[in-house]
Amino acid sequence: MSSALRRVATAAQPMIGIAALIAAWQAASVIAANPTLAPPLGAIARQIAAMASTDLLNDVVASLVHLLLGYGCGAILGLVLALLAARSEWFAAILDPYVEFLRPISAIAWIPIAILLFGVGRGVPVFLIFYASLFPILVSTLDGVRSVDRGLINAGRALGASRRLVVTNIILPAALPSILSGARLSLGVAWVAMVAGELVGADAGLGWRIMWYQEFFSMDGVMATIVVIGAVGWLLDALLRALQRRLLAWSPTTGARG
Amino acid sequence: MTVAVLRLAGVTKTFRAPRGGGDVVALSGVDLDVREGEFLTVVGPSGCGKSTMLSLVAGFAQPTAGEVLFQGQPVLEPGPERGVMFQDYALFPWRTVMGNIEFGPYALGVGKAERRGRARELIQLVGLEGFEDRYPHELSGGMRQRCALARMLANNPTMWLMDEPLAAVDLQTRIILQDELLRLWGDGGSAKRSTVLFVTHGIDEAVLLADRVVVMARRPGRIKAIVDVNLPRPRAAQRSSPALAELVGRVWDLIRDEAVRAIAEETN
Repeated sequence: MSSALRRVATAAQPMIGIAALIAAWQAASVIAANPTLAPPLGAIARQIAAMASTDLLNDVVASLVHLLLGYGCGAILGLVLALLAARSEWFAAILDPYVEFLRPISAIAWIPIAILLFGVGRGVPVFLIFYASLFPILVSTLDGVRSVDRGLINAGRALGASRRLVVTNIILPAALPSILSGARLSLGVAWVAMVAGELVGADAGLGWRIMWYQEFFSMDGVMATIVVIGAVGWLLDALLRALQRRLLAWSPTTGARG
Repeated sequence: MTVAVLRLAGVTKTFRAPRGGGDVVALSGVDLDVREGEFLTVVGPSGCGKSTMLSLVAGFAQPTAGEVLFQGQPVLEPGPERGVMFQDYALFPWRTVMGNIEFGPYALGVGKAERRGRARELIQLVGLEGFEDRYPHELSGGMRQRCALARMLANNPTMWLMDEPLAAVDLQTRIILQDELLRLWGDGGSAKRSTVLFVTHGIDEAVLLADRVVVMARRPGRIKAIVDVNLPRPRAAQRSSPALAELVGRVWDLIRDEAVRAIAEETN
């Protein structure tokens, strides 16, 4: 009985935060009394509804295509480079300076060069997403593989595991928590880079839609698109979190909770 | 009867000190013959190199000098004929009890039906029925130990290498597991016993289980004495025998001074 109550309370917690935000926005729009600067909630909601019946789906799909291409290539390359670096000290020594030099540079800084290289279109956001998502998963995977408990590897070898089996059946599962949290970090920065790339270097997508609304001076539209960007980003993270919970059901820390 | 299944000849192991300084000599000139089917326990104060010795026999590391021979062949790497049970169990956290126990046969290419059957037998033998699908973090300390024991046995190793396997449980559980370990080994007088190298810091335990107790000293790690335990088996019946108590006293006399010094250094 009290545990059921507690579960309801736990589920309600995020709602409280959202409700507070909505209330604060509504209050701000009333105080500002300037529908251009702070459009009231009703206007934003109406705008989202209007978008849903016109271009919203196209915009979301265009963005997801950018994300899929950029994040797919970036995350896979990051994972592969990390595994190679973990395998060969020699390769790690070569890779390290590149990673440490490029990693702190924001993907956004590459926009002028990306536009020059790819022109306005799909190339710019895909490149930016690729660049942004490469490093978090790379660094996190490398850390994870390097910190695999020596005892587990020894246990496997004493049980007769070949070197290949040690990699596939011990090192990879042991590093999986780090790989997945790296994948989540990468997805987060990829989503940010995607919007930035689409704002200035694309001809479709949610970021591009923000600029489109700006040209019509429609702050309702800008705000509505921002809300959609936040919602879809949250949804994608929730998907990865669910995957994490599913794959790490064995882990005492991740398996039980989120 | 007197075939040495395992021979350590002049085994020395040094480690490079992490930050400058000289090398740390973990083992120095260790000579030891272990007979087939023998239960050998190794005791000594912390830092005497007893775990290092075990990992050399397991093949996790190579001696700096000297030789480790198993069945006449130098030990160059780990192998399934030398099963290991670790102090912290080293169970694979992403594998269930069943998955952990069948990993050895799986690694050796045993077919699924056969390794499942073998794992089920072992689960019954160590009393883990009903827990086949649990993950290690869902087990108690004693159950993890049973699981680690069954995993080690799954490959039918001819040698059992055990590194303080009962150190981390409470006294009652330890006594029960000692009896079970002896039973599984064949304390009642079974035909073919495995050879056991059992590292412990429990002197009572060392004497209770062993045919011979290797007493080690530190700085550098070396063998100080080997004490024969000529008590009748099964040993479970000997727990409160005066002869056992006397042997425990003898072993304790051999390591007391060093143990006191080791503790004094550790607390500094």
